[in-house]
Amino acid sequence: MPTPVAGTGNPVARRLSRRSFLAVAGISVAGALAACSGAPTGTKHLRLSSWNIPLDLESYQAIADEFVAAHPGTSVAVEVTTGQFHQWFITRLAADLAPDIIRITPQQIGRYAANGSLVDLTGAVPAAYQDDWSEPFWAIGAKEDGLFGVFQHTDNFITYYDRRVIEQIGVDVPQSLDEAWHWDEFLEIAREAQRLTGRYGFGYGWGGPETAYRWMPLVYQNGGAFLGEDGMTPSMDTPEAVGALDFGGRWYADGLVSPANMSKSGGGAVGRDLFATGQTGLLLDNPEAIAALDEARPDEWGTTYMIRNDGEASDLGGNALAVTRSSKHPELAAELVAFVTSRTNVAEFCRRGNWLPARSSLDAADIGYQRHESTMQQFIDQASTIPLSMVRAQSGPYFSSLNSVFADYLDLCFLGELTPGECGTQMTEAMRSVTTR
Amino acid sequence: MSPHGETLTAAGTAPAGTTTDAVPGDPAGTRTDGPARRRRGRWAPYLFVGPAGLLFLAFSLVPIVIAVALSFQDTATLGEGSWVGADNYRTMLSDPLLRTALLNTVVFTVGTVPTAMAIGLALAVALNRPLPGRGVLRALFFVPMVAAGVVVGVIMSWIFNPDYGVANNALRALGLGGLPWLTSPRTAMVTLVLVVVWTRIGFCMVIYLGALQSIPSELREAAAIDGASRWQRFRRLTVPMLAPTTSILLILNVVFSLQAFDVIYVMTGGGPGFSTTVLIQYVFRSAFADARMGYAAALGLLLVLILLVFTLLRQRATKKAEELL
Repeated sequence: MPTPVAGTGNPVARRLSRRSFLAVAGISVAGALAACSGAPTGTKHLRLSSWNIPLDLESYQAIADEFVAAHPGTSVAVEVTTGQFHQWFITRLAADLAPDIIRITPQQIGRYAANGSLVDLTGAVPAAYQDDWSEPFWAIGAKEDGLFGVFQHTDNFITYYDRRVIEQIGVDVPQSLDEAWHWDEFLEIAREAQRLTGRYGFGYGWGGPETAYRWMPLVYQNGGAFLGEDGMTPSMDTPEAVGALDFGGRWYADGLVSPANMSKSGGGAVGRDLFATGQTGLLLDNPEAIAALDEARPDEWGTTYMIRNDGEASDLGGNALAVTRSSKHPELAAELVAFVTSRTNVAEFCRRGNWLPARSSLDAADIGYQRHESTMQQFIDQASTIPLSMVRAQSGPYFSSLNSVFADYLDLCFLGELTPGECGTQMTEAMRSVTTR
Repeated sequence: MSPHGETLTAAGTAPAGTTTDAVPGDPAGTRTDGPARRRRGRWAPYLFVGPAGLLFLAFSLVPIVIAVALSFQDTATLGEGSWVGADNYRTMLSDPLLRTALLNTVVFTVGTVPTAMAIGLALAVALNRPLPGRGVLRALFFVPMVAAGVVVGVIMSWIFNPDYGVANNALRALGLGGLPWLTSPRTAMVTLVLVVVWTRIGFCMVIYLGALQSIPSELREAAAIDGASRWQRFRRLTVPMLAPTTSILLILNVVFSLQAFDVIYVMTGGGPGFSTTVLIQYVFRSAFADARMGYAAALGLLLVLILLVFTLLRQRATKKAEELL
């Protein structure tokens, strides 16, 4: 008698076949789940997450490949940080699925360093590293209870100018930090620029509400501070801070800056777009503007140092690398952080991505930027004016929340809804409700 | 038991002994439904509902329960927190930004819902007639609905940029001068309403179009023979016949408006000042910018409560209207 074939009418054969199918399916699913679970395979696997900047992703992968070659039995995958950072990171931390290493801004790091989401890198990063970082830049990752990140690269604000406009005004462009335009001088030049462009005097390099802090250097330029010396006490109601708000209010009251160019206004880099289209004669912005201006107005623009008043200050841009508590191999991850932030790798990363080094010993010539070396050196020089107290304020535990408050009240002040005095008082009160939570 | 009696019971649940269908390997048909088969049949509906039920449980019910628990906690990140009783709800009572966000939410909802529905209805009526290119026009009006909110937000930010946007350039070309659109607290909400209405009218149009086509033409013809004018036919016949559709659209549109996040987030970030900060944005801000997960959960539940109350009131009103008819 021939053997019954499954599905040919023999009910026993059919039942067996179904069971077999279910068993095979069950085993397959279990196998697939086991494969996805990251069960130990002998290789120590690390994940490094970065912003979606193609050149940077390539640079990280190239550095990671070198690291893997020197560390047999390891592998590193570079991933992209998606969506809004806090939403992305908090949900992944909650699922214990955060990448081993994250690229994080100074303004984001404080909360996670304070709440135990990041690993202390003390001991894993060579002690000599600290000597090559300025005090403000080292303070981004170094907190009272440990080292929670290493600042890899920075950027800041300087002044871009339209060569034709500046020639027509007939003003000398500052050649050193000491000669940087003071506020009153700058406003005079901006008024002339406004007359010549027929639209606005200058633009400011905000990129959305989350970048409101980019205006904070103005407070420090006027001798004020966002938070007091303890890094916790709101102090936007001091005469210096209110004076800075008054200065900012005049930008809009006098029509020197477009009302569409505010931190909370949408549409991306409005200040940059206005400068690129000849609607402003000056622009206070970071190095990211270079590529856009090279494309829109090659050779028609120049740069000089950031404006100043009683004091000097510029924006704190850039990123640190930190190891998350989700990491299964924190020592190895810390080793990779140290490797990425080595002098050679910082130089190469900055050269490829047109970033500014966090290491003090590197200048533009060491890095070998492909274009605009003198402008990049101006940015590197300007980085020395970033105040330690501003760094402490921005990399503190409450800063994400405080930054929202800063954005809200800057808007209200610049729109003329509040006087600078009212704005300073109300902002300080709102900040206090955050820091006393 | 089925109201139609046992003859309509599901397969396999008929009384024992009534089924004598031959089965393979039992040519004589002597095998009858046993208790095992009946048991299997009893589970069938649950097996069909099971997958959807599991998804609902995992992605709706459990998160709601967690959100309720979270709303009674003080926690900066998900997962860890301390119990604070009703503190988060008490904070809501004295939160000035919440009051602003609620007021803005009401203004935004009142601005978007009736406008989108009225324009959607007008378009549906217009495009329900034989017109050249009717299909193309219907598709064109529906396209904004399928565009991603973030894309709409970015494009609209450019269009309404007061310096180089298309909107002001068009106004200037007509000699009307520009408007501040998104840059003034007085015009930003109106601009947002315009944008959201534009994205929403296609949806309303399609739903109304479907409902219009289900109204028997004999009714309109009879009314016309009786001397009813075009407006009277619309007012006295079409509008009442569309009432159930209007009711559903109203609820859906209110839900959409209460959930409108992406367009506002991209176009204004809640500004200028607080002029376009709506409740859903405040929930997001509390959770991720302010790291107050417990408070954000309480705000989220407030949003659910508002939706629930509105839906119940609307259902009650519809029921009353039906009883009166």
